[in-house]
Amino acid sequence: MIWKILEVLIFPGALFILAMSLFYEWVDRKLYARLQNRVGPHLAGPFGIFQPIADLIKLLSKEDIVPAAADKFLFTFTPIIAPTLILFGCMFLPIAGPSGIISINGDLIILIALMSLFTVIIYLAGEGSNNRLASIGATRAALQLVGYEIPLTLALLCGAISARSLSLRGIVEAQTSYGSWIIAGPQIIGFAIFIVTAQAEMERTPFDIPEAEQEIVAGWSVEYGGRRLALFRLSRDLELFLLSGLGATVFLGGPSGPLIQGLEPFLHTIYFIAKSVVVLVIFTIFRAIFARLRIDQVLSFSWRYLMPLAILLVIITGVVA
Amino acid sequence: MKAPGYIFAEALRNLIKKRATVLYPYREVEKIHLPDGFRGKIEFDRPKCIGCQMCFRVCPAKAIEIIEDERGKRPIFLIYRCIYCGQCAEVCPTKAITLGKVFENVALRKEELEVR
Amino acid sequence: MSFEIPIGPQHPIHVEPLMLKLKVEGELIVDVDIDVSYIHRGIEKALELRSYPQGLFLAERICGICNCAHSLCYCLNIEQLLGKEAPPRAKYLRVIVEELSRVHSHLLWLGHYFHTLGFETLFMYFWRDRERVMDMLELMTGNRVTTSYNVIGGVRRDITPEIDSKLRRMIEHLRERMKYYEAAIRSEPSLLGRLQGVGLLKPEDAIRLGTVGPHLRASGVKHDVRLDDPYSGHEEIPFNVITYDTCDCYGRVMVRIGEVFESLDMIAYALDHLPSGEYRLKMPPFFKAPVGESLSRVEAPRGELIHYSISDGGTNPFRYRVRTPTLANLASVAAMLKSRGDYEVYIADVPAILGGIDPCICCTARVIITDEGKKTRRITTLTELERYARERGVRM
Repeated sequence: MIWKILEVLIFPGALFILAMSLFYEWVDRKLYARLQNRVGPHLAGPFGIFQPIADLIKLLSKEDIVPAAADKFLFTFTPIIAPTLILFGCMFLPIAGPSGIISINGDLIILIALMSLFTVIIYLAGEGSNNRLASIGATRAALQLVGYEIPLTLALLCGAISARSLSLRGIVEAQTSYGSWIIAGPQIIGFAIFIVTAQAEMERTPFDIPEAEQEIVAGWSVEYGGRRLALFRLSRDLELFLLSGLGATVFLGGPSGPLIQGLEPFLHTIYFIAKSVVVLVIFTIFRAIFARLRIDQVLSFSWRYLMPLAILLVIITGVVA
Repeated sequence: MKAPGYIFAEALRNLIKKRATVLYPYREVEKIHLPDGFRGKIEFDRPKCIGCQMCFRVCPAKAIEIIEDERGKRPIFLIYRCIYCGQCAEVCPTKAITLGKVFENVALRKEELEVR
Repeated sequence: MSFEIPIGPQHPIHVEPLMLKLKVEGELIVDVDIDVSYIHRGIEKALELRSYPQGLFLAERICGICNCAHSLCYCLNIEQLLGKEAPPRAKYLRVIVEELSRVHSHLLWLGHYFHTLGFETLFMYFWRDRERVMDMLELMTGNRVTTSYNVIGGVRRDITPEIDSKLRRMIEHLRERMKYYEAAIRSEPSLLGRLQGVGLLKPEDAIRLGTVGPHLRASGVKHDVRLDDPYSGHEEIPFNVITYDTCDCYGRVMVRIGEVFESLDMIAYALDHLPSGEYRLKMPPFFKAPVGESLSRVEAPRGELIHYSISDGGTNPFRYRVRTPTLANLASVAAMLKSRGDYEVYIADVPAILGGIDPCICCTARVIITDEGKKTRRITTLTELERYARERGVRM
């Protein structure tokens, strides 16, 4: 019992996931800066590795302002629900073993639902702040969801079909027993679709339309400041961790790899982090080389190219599997 | 011709390139190269000054005040008003005024930003 | 459902305060109202209170980025008033610095423009390469931004062989980089999607709305003060006027890229054909100008810049008037931002369209008379204000 609680709270649970998500933010920022020939964070800690934590602490210490016109309930609860939701999702990830802290049949479906729910939370957060720019951002977030959600779901499900399991544990074990990762074969298309749509899910360039700074200031998050903004930023970092972890699990074999007796949890964690950092690096490079699209362009791109590609992939997967 | 992610190769090349940023206020202060003829904080050579007050009259920003000391009239330069145009240095008949290379003009008290 | 969105007075894409009141329906903009009266610095009045050589440094500070164009325009204006002309060497040196600052301004604009489109990486690359130009400006004039290089009757400093060789190296380097960027912009679909067909401005509309500069040339109108009314050495230095007939934001980007190439060529030509001799006329620190008036035009990086002065024979100008290019271009922004027919403008296009004119709001302000009692606002033109002043016997 005590071990289970420690597992949930510390390793590989909440504390570990939070620390790793801040580390992933640092990797993302540092790499993004280096791709642009800049330094990136360099002040807090060696190579600025503690910069995300420092930012978080700074935001937490700021004054808390609730706009008079805002919906008090939504304004208070959406920043709490957002990171909770994603943290809950991260518990499904198989970090220190072939199964996550929570492992049930069909947890891939739960994860997909959680990610869509997160967008709903963002929509509520934007509408709840009762600001014109925020509500435009919120509407854009909801509109974008229409564009990317189905290809994302299909791409992940194709991975599940070729592993013949809807649980992450089953997907990991299938890849271990086949001896090859799912990405080898036709699922490389699925991986590509996943990379593109995950960018949209995380609202990063070229799909950072809901919070386009230059157009609608900060979109749905414009009214949030202080600890509320800190919680939203934290949920973004957690989402980065979740999606790169999910990509690594479904397509790159997750925590599987050559094992040494007695060191399994440790090695599993190492493999998991190494693979998800690879996915993260792809995310970051993807972010660096595109301009922001317009909302109508995203929708037409998604329905014109991603959707047929995803459906084609389903057919291919069905034939091959 | 159209290729998504054209700058991909350039971006990757930058990973091994040296960064373009100079970590100026924290480190690498010595990397700031100022060319000769940089117009920085005014340097004043009191013995050369003959008290003609031309600098006072040409200064567009009224950053020069004339006071009297034991050797007669002389200017003091209020750097917090100076726009670094270099008119005073140009007009000075004895070249008592030059523009140096100091550009970090921050101080807690106004008096520190006066060149006497 | 339509509602109003304020873009400004403070907004991430505005470097200076400007108010765009957008009436939107969903993501479409149906109407726009522009208010530029947030900065009034009183520079024109202040110029009347300063002697001619002192006023130069104020005129230079009208705009930080195109300070070189402003100081050149001021010098040309006063020289014309005095009936003097700068020596040939000074003219060429002026062209070098003017074109250098045009290159720096265009690179700054290009970087900032891609930043507003969310392309941070190109933004960083452009600004990194701009540093080379800034270093050259610093080397030649003594400061990175505020050059203080042009003075009445010539230029401040001569060029040394060391600067000459460094300039040539910079030109080579920048040509390479610009070729790369041109190819990158031409082939990046995510950028083209944001640029092509956005902010259409037909040539006849552009002329009717009084558009100037690269913005006008992107609409296919061949207009450049350097060609139409050459000043200060531009008569002798050959260059091509870059025009694009796409009439959209893509054309505006490509015109500026083309102009960077032209400016680099002009600097190289000026270095090759630099006349020998004096670079500065002997001018007294104070002088009186003869009674008269004078108007000078300069092609600033943003477009045609006009300075106008009246002298009553004193040491100060009696009246000084500046018409900055941004003011001329803002009218076209209002026209481009309105959706009509199948021409649709999205909120996401606002940065692209507004950024396309390279806005520089300083000194663009007009007077708005707000009547608190009647709750009305009325924009006053200069003519009305002048009449108002004349009726009350106030000197404007």
